[in-house]
Amino acid sequence: MESTSVAIITGPLRSRVDEPTQVGDAAGAVVTFLGVVRGEEGGTLIAGLEYSVYEPMATRVLEHLARETIERFGVLRVNVEHSQGLVPTGQCSFGLTISGAHRRETLDAMDWYIERMKQDAPIWKRAVAERLSQATDMVKAKHG
Amino acid sequence: MHVDVLLFGPLAEAAGADCVAVDVPDQEATAGKVLTALHEASPVLRSSLGACHLAVNHAFAHDSTPICASDEVAIIGLVSGG
Repeated sequence: MESTSVAIITGPLRSRVDEPTQVGDAAGAVVTFLGVVRGEEGGTLIAGLEYSVYEPMATRVLEHLARETIERFGVLRVNVEHSQGLVPTGQCSFGLTISGAHRRETLDAMDWYIERMKQDAPIWKRAVAERLSQATDMVKAKHG
Repeated sequence: MHVDVLLFGPLAEAAGADCVAVDVPDQEATAGKVLTALHEASPVLRSSLGACHLAVNHAFAHDSTPICASDEVAIIGLVSGG
């Protein structure tokens, strides 16, 4: 089985946690981080975040970082998913699961991967105003 | 040589387009020359370009990276994923 997987998903992610069996009995730690869209941005209520992704490059960067994470920290498996398009407040837009033999290197790997992703992956987010969302909902309701 | 530079995120919003066309001499077609041409071609992007990097075929490029007509070229500004 491949030791890395990367996916760009349109819309919110379904939370997915690796089964420890995916790396046999070698993993003593399976750590999952889920990034969730907060309901406010800079003190303003928002309806969600709109993610713009340069998909071929983002996939390449996320995959490269996954492989580097395995080399650098000696972890066993890295799974990453990131949303593109609109993700409403309270929904998941980023999921990272790392499996490793021990807790310490697995947690360190998790932190390192997220920091590097935020520096290097060509992904941008834009807040969608709550008021605009309400207006859109009203139009939808009016026109059925 | 004609180069279409792809734009994303805030740069695309600032330019009001997802692509800016520039021309560079064939014999001087490098990432650095494309950045210089982009500076001239799109005044609205000038204030942002200092924090940007050029990507060629989905990988970050150096100023000296050569560019040919079939390459996919994109300008990558400050990112904000996660």
